Amino acid sequence: MKLNTAELSTTASPHLFSRRKSDWIMQQVIIALVFPTIAATYFFGFRVLLMVLVGVVSSVFFEYAYQKYRNIPSTISDYSAVVTGMLIGLSLPVTAPLWTIVIGTAFAILIIKQLPGGIGRNALNPAVAARVMLKVFFTPWITDWVTPGADAVSTATPLEYIGHFSKSVSAEVPNLMQLFFGFELGGNVGETSKFAIILGLIYLVVRGIINFKIPLLYVVTVAVVTGLYSSFDLTYMMTHVLSGTLIFAATYMATDYSSGPLTPDGKTLFAIGLGVLTALFRILFNFPGGVGFAILIMNALTPVIDRYLAPRIYGHKKRPKVLKTT
Amino acid sequence: MFAFKYKREGAYTEERKERTEHLPIEEAPVPDLLIFPLAMHIGKPAEAIVEVGDKVKMGQLIGKKDGFISANIHSSVSGKVTDIKEAATMHGIGTCIFIENDHKDTPAAPLFQGEAPTDKQARIKLIEDAGIVGMGGATFPTNVKLSPPPGKTIDTLIINGAECEAYSTSDHRVMIEYADELVKGIQILLDLYPIKYTYVAIESNVHDSIEALEAAIGDDSRIKIKELETIYPQGAEKRLIKNLVDREVPSGGLPADVHALVSNVSTIRQVYQTIAYGTPLMSRVTTLTGEPVKNPKNLLVRIGTPIQTLIDACDGFQSKPGKMLHGGPMMGKPINSGQIPITKGSTIITFLPKEEVVADERTPCIKCAECLNVCPVSLQPILISNAYEQGDIDEAERLGAMDCIDCGNCSFICPSNIPLLENIRKAKGEIKARKENK
Repeated sequence: MKLNTAELSTTASPHLFSRRKSDWIMQQVIIALVFPTIAATYFFGFRVLLMVLVGVVSSVFFEYAYQKYRNIPSTISDYSAVVTGMLIGLSLPVTAPLWTIVIGTAFAILIIKQLPGGIGRNALNPAVAARVMLKVFFTPWITDWVTPGADAVSTATPLEYIGHFSKSVSAEVPNLMQLFFGFELGGNVGETSKFAIILGLIYLVVRGIINFKIPLLYVVTVAVVTGLYSSFDLTYMMTHVLSGTLIFAATYMATDYSSGPLTPDGKTLFAIGLGVLTALFRILFNFPGGVGFAILIMNALTPVIDRYLAPRIYGHKKRPKVLKTT
Repeated sequence: MFAFKYKREGAYTEERKERTEHLPIEEAPVPDLLIFPLAMHIGKPAEAIVEVGDKVKMGQLIGKKDGFISANIHSSVSGKVTDIKEAATMHGIGTCIFIENDHKDTPAAPLFQGEAPTDKQARIKLIEDAGIVGMGGATFPTNVKLSPPPGKTIDTLIINGAECEAYSTSDHRVMIEYADELVKGIQILLDLYPIKYTYVAIESNVHDSIEALEAAIGDDSRIKIKELETIYPQGAEKRLIKNLVDREVPSGGLPADVHALVSNVSTIRQVYQTIAYGTPLMSRVTTLTGEPVKNPKNLLVRIGTPIQTLIDACDGFQSKPGKMLHGGPMMGKPINSGQIPITKGSTIITFLPKEEVVADERTPCIKCAECLNVCPVSLQPILISNAYEQGDIDEAERLGAMDCIDCGNCSFICPSNIPLLENIRKAKGEIKARKENK
């Protein structure tokens, strides 16, 4: 075969490209979310699948409809709306009415994600913002915790026993094994089994999707701050680590690309900040949901963090002075 | 177990070296007509000192260096000058000397008679006369590198055998087959400079060349082989210096600023040939490869040989090539003529299959930060690209656009197909243009 020079492309280097595209990355997050979805279905029944489905369908619908209405290219094929929908479906208790999920996804997709310009432009994590919004405005409907099982009784979440200035763990709190695996535990469906979440975390780290230091530093910081407060009462520390939505949020929400820092040092500060705020909210205030507020606050601080922690360039003595961070 | 690396300073590209890494170097056929671009090095083009109709001998000077940063050019065959005109070269259209080969290889007198000079300045002059430039692709005149300004002493010599581009195997073969000449070349430099540290930097994927070099080094304890992680762009000069001696070349500076001298293995081998036999730079090892090539080869090629001669030597193509590159797939220059000749910096001619030459549609940035993770000089490529697209050249400059080494990792890794390097290059262009206008 002869060389046909007319057929040669002459676009500039590089000439090879990684096959890891945005849609593939989002698919990996979806796969990682399957672990807590299975665990939640096991503990709370098939209604969990319905919740996830409603979350996904409504998220994708809102994104599609918004972009159709604004006459801009559709981005539903990047799967990011699916991720947001799954997260919202998994971050409510099994008793939450389905319409609260739809309100949550509408808020997440339309207000938080699309208004600032869509994927990559949102300053706040859509799923977290939606969860906090629901918590503030729709509390009676979404905080009716039940422990799984046929007799589904209303219970308090473990955090109500250890938060608000208590320094030790009372007898009502489920033991650490229960907290880890999620047996007989109330709460949002996705966060119950830490075991399943950690499987998802390992998957994301192995696939190179998330930066392991964010969940690690976040959780370790919570342990350290609660440790300092309780004179290192190990049960108290571990109960904090394993309670509430901490591990779930550290894995799937704190690692969100768009709402977190770009810079390596920024990521470190972001994760430590999350840990400190979460622990303080839990210790100081008598409400669950400290994780959500902590994430939103650190999201809001992200541009400032990135600006001052721009990496030092090879051959320079100081970090570059940067004015823009997006 | 928590030794996770969030900053990789490189990308794990596929190596794709398997088709040629074990093939011995073959002598390429010498064509009837050779083409010598006067600009086959960085700096000012050489000045033609022959005229159409002149008879030339093999090794005869045909282009004389013009200015401080420039290099001599010698004919690699004996024959007749048939033309001096503009033609396509690796670096665009430029003046070339065309020489018709008489296939007699009548040699010109070597660069010195009798014993080679031993004096340092005379040896550097010899390297200058021989037209030696960086044969790893940068083509910077070697004699200039060897003569750092006063006060900038050299204490570290790094021999760059970290051939990090995919497909590329010419340096690998040189290290195996010319290990002795390479080591003798290193020893020549060690005798000239009070060098404290001498490292041959090799990527961990080429064990056979490490063995060959160890055998050639023998008990010369001055020379150390450093095995480095196989990661692109491991062979980038600035990264090598950082990884081997933990020094950073200051922004806008040269390796000599941190007392280092980095030289490619083929260059050092040529230094040996020149000092030992008085031979000017007339040939080099070039790999011609890629999936479309029928029988890819590592070839010992006379400078001036058109690529088409090498394609024929490799029996043409087995599938349609989509791109022809002077260099590897990360930094190579796309070219589109088989008449372009091999020059001093031609390490590899890569052909990419048609199906790999796809322009994926750009999608919005998802802020994954991968471009930061893979940047070998710790830039924030996406921010420079954004600043350029917003027309904010000041911000692009503050973000360090000028420190970019063009490795292409950012564009390679971007999951959204954003032309990061292209935008950074354009930003660099505007920053330079603005400085010149001031």
